[in-house]
Amino acid sequence: MASGCAKRGGCPSDYVAVSIAAICFLVLLSRSVLPCLIHKAPRNNSSSFWIPVIQVFSSFNLLFSTMMSINLLQFKTKHWWQYCYLWSVWVEGPLGFGLLMSCRITQAFQLYFIFVKKRLPPVKSYVFLPLVLLPWIFGAAIVQAKRPLDSQCHMGLEWTLPVAGLNALYVLALLAFTRAIRHVEFRFDELRDLWKGILVSATSVALWVTSFVLNEIHTDTSWLQVTSRFVLLVTGGILVIVFFSISSHQPLLAQISFKNRQEFPRMGLALGIHDSGLLFRKEEVRPVDPNEPLDKLLLNKRFRKSLMEFADSCYAGETLHFYEEVYEHGKIPEGDSIRRIYMARHIMEKFIVAGAEMEVNVSHKTRQEILTTQDLTHLDLFKNALNEVMQLIKMNLVRDYWSSTFFIKFKEEVAMDKEGWSLSPPRMSLVQGSDDPFYQEHMSKSSTSRYSSPS
Amino acid sequence: MGLLCSRSRHHTEDTDENAQAAEIERRIEQEAKAEKHIRKLLLLGAGESGKSTIFKQIKLLFQTGFDEGELKSYVPVIHANVYQTIKLLHDGTKEFAQNETDPAKYTLSSENMAIGEKLSEIGGRLDYPRLTKDLAEGIETLWNDPAIQETCSRGNELQVPDCTKYLMENLKRLSDVNYIPTKEDVLYARVRTTGVVEIQFSPVGENKKSGEVYRLFDVGGQRNERRKWIHLFEGVTAVIFCAAISEYDQTLFEDEQKNRMMETKELFDWVLKQPCFEKTSIMLFLNKFDIFEKKVLDVPLNVCDWFRDYQPVSSGKQEIEHAYEFVKKKFEELYYQNTAPDRVDRVFKIYRTTALDQKLVKKTFKLVDETLRRRNLLEAGLL
Repeated sequence: MASGCAKRGGCPSDYVAVSIAAICFLVLLSRSVLPCLIHKAPRNNSSSFWIPVIQVFSSFNLLFSTMMSINLLQFKTKHWWQYCYLWSVWVEGPLGFGLLMSCRITQAFQLYFIFVKKRLPPVKSYVFLPLVLLPWIFGAAIVQAKRPLDSQCHMGLEWTLPVAGLNALYVLALLAFTRAIRHVEFRFDELRDLWKGILVSATSVALWVTSFVLNEIHTDTSWLQVTSRFVLLVTGGILVIVFFSISSHQPLLAQISFKNRQEFPRMGLALGIHDSGLLFRKEEVRPVDPNEPLDKLLLNKRFRKSLMEFADSCYAGETLHFYEEVYEHGKIPEGDSIRRIYMARHIMEKFIVAGAEMEVNVSHKTRQEILTTQDLTHLDLFKNALNEVMQLIKMNLVRDYWSSTFFIKFKEEVAMDKEGWSLSPPRMSLVQGSDDPFYQEHMSKSSTSRYSSPS
Repeated sequence: MGLLCSRSRHHTEDTDENAQAAEIERRIEQEAKAEKHIRKLLLLGAGESGKSTIFKQIKLLFQTGFDEGELKSYVPVIHANVYQTIKLLHDGTKEFAQNETDPAKYTLSSENMAIGEKLSEIGGRLDYPRLTKDLAEGIETLWNDPAIQETCSRGNELQVPDCTKYLMENLKRLSDVNYIPTKEDVLYARVRTTGVVEIQFSPVGENKKSGEVYRLFDVGGQRNERRKWIHLFEGVTAVIFCAAISEYDQTLFEDEQKNRMMETKELFDWVLKQPCFEKTSIMLFLNKFDIFEKKVLDVPLNVCDWFRDYQPVSSGKQEIEHAYEFVKKKFEELYYQNTAPDRVDRVFKIYRTTALDQKLVKKTFKLVDETLRRRNLLEAGLL
């Protein structure tokens, strides 16, 4: 019996392996999809969204093609879709393991450029990924042309070794990129994740290649056949899960949008830039003079908030949000290049890139200057853009703001506060505040303005 | 508001509050009724197509206009325009001098070099000083430098605003200590709009109060601004689409790889395809005719891909007319391609405009008003 099922497939251990692989894939799928569903993460079209999707896709390909190509399941009749070259060459290679490794290498490449070279990668990831994948496609094409596979989908030793070599080469490439960025002190454990990823993938690739080689060469030893293909599929399953779980790519995005949204509503806070020291409470109560220069006025947090509400109400809020984040960017000490890079990249992706969530209205030249910068840590990276945006605020928004209800409300608030400050202890206004329908909103939006409007 | 009300209706059992809710409901209905008479107009179009100039004209024509305070508030804007323009020209000249085969053409005279550097530095500041006589003289000297003039003639490659010549010719007046901008100055002033601005007006003037009431929305035209437009798309009576026909040889402010006319074409196409606008009248303003008629004799229309098949026929006035008709036909074709006969339930009119020309805008608006009222009557079955 053993020899029969070893050849045709369908041994008990094979079914166990298939179930394990299926479970692995389901776990992977739930890990990748659930956070998006639960936290309703905004979907964007950047590589941070597509690379994980491609990873899931290639993981499925890898597992499914392994299952198909090593005779795990017993089929009564041979179907046309059981075509050997399709599964064991194309889907397993370029669309499976090759794609999975290429995704990882792309991520490491991005990290390398951003943090070591301190500029944005010269090649977009949607160009880089196919480039990295090219050798796999060539390899598959050669195999397809030379047709070395026998009826059991096995290739001989002379073919197995180069294939295993290609696999190992990609692990080595990943290793090389990781070595290059090992000195960078990442804020969010990217490096540790990357090392873990390499360790896991190297181990499973070693195991996998061994069983692959054994499976390919010793086609006549039936116990070896059954065991090796069991190991092959199970390692594949574990590999894809672990590989996906250790996310080295933009862990920040995950940090902010999934886990710590309550704790870190903004990038600045996630990076530990605090808004303290900006204002003293006494200053806050100071009335605002419209003739003062805008950059001075904006330092008044109360005023800024009121202006921001006004800008939001006429769909121009991105200008002030940009101002705030660039302001925070400016507060990072000069020597702290890693934090500067994080913040700079965040600002670029949120405000500068064409089609960004809160793209600001700046000229082509300024945008290009920022996106092609040779130094992501540069102090004046956003200077020109901020200048343009400030002009926009000055000539457009502020002029209308002075005659808006938002300014009237702001003046009232300041007047009330002045009284409240001198007459009642701070706690009083808290009590008053609970009657105010807008109180909740104020509190949630800004934690420092404790004196909400008893309007 | 509506949301708030419906929520309170769900959550209250108290009769008192119910009565209050009913009252609110009634008021909303009343307001909605009043709102029904107000016709919603949208000014759409790519960046720098003249939407805000039209908007300012409407303010001048059908509202109280600008009082002295408002006029004065334009002083910093106009001065900023001057500084930004001269910086743009200066920096452009430097760039051309570096990259062109004939750098001498773009080299400033040595005494103007220092003035240029100084003005460029001011233009890069966040806060500009008030334009003084001294500064204005410096700007004028620089403006008259052949290199700057040479650069200005290639203004389409830089993002030089249309008002450049106007500003430079009026420097003396603009730098006066007691300078108060004129209506014309305000119309020429270039401010990039961001977000949405609205006014309400009735185009019939004061003697006849029975006219339609319009609410006009002005928006920013750059790409990032356009995604805000959809917030306004519901219940629009008419879209006034501004297309600057003089910009066929210029590139976008936000993307210098893209020809402005091609962008306008795509944008108009997109607007016409909006399901919200199936019953919305489209008023196409082929704007900046004043610049167009000067430019078209020097720069052939077919530099723009969309007008590649244009063949000039004659010269002078005839040629201008011919070119204009060609452009108009292109827009017409685009409109009919996007308006299937089974849902031709909207009015389409094309107007030749120069947003700076107050009389022309007034006349055009009268026509727009007439068209919309006519359509209104048609819909009510009275005509």
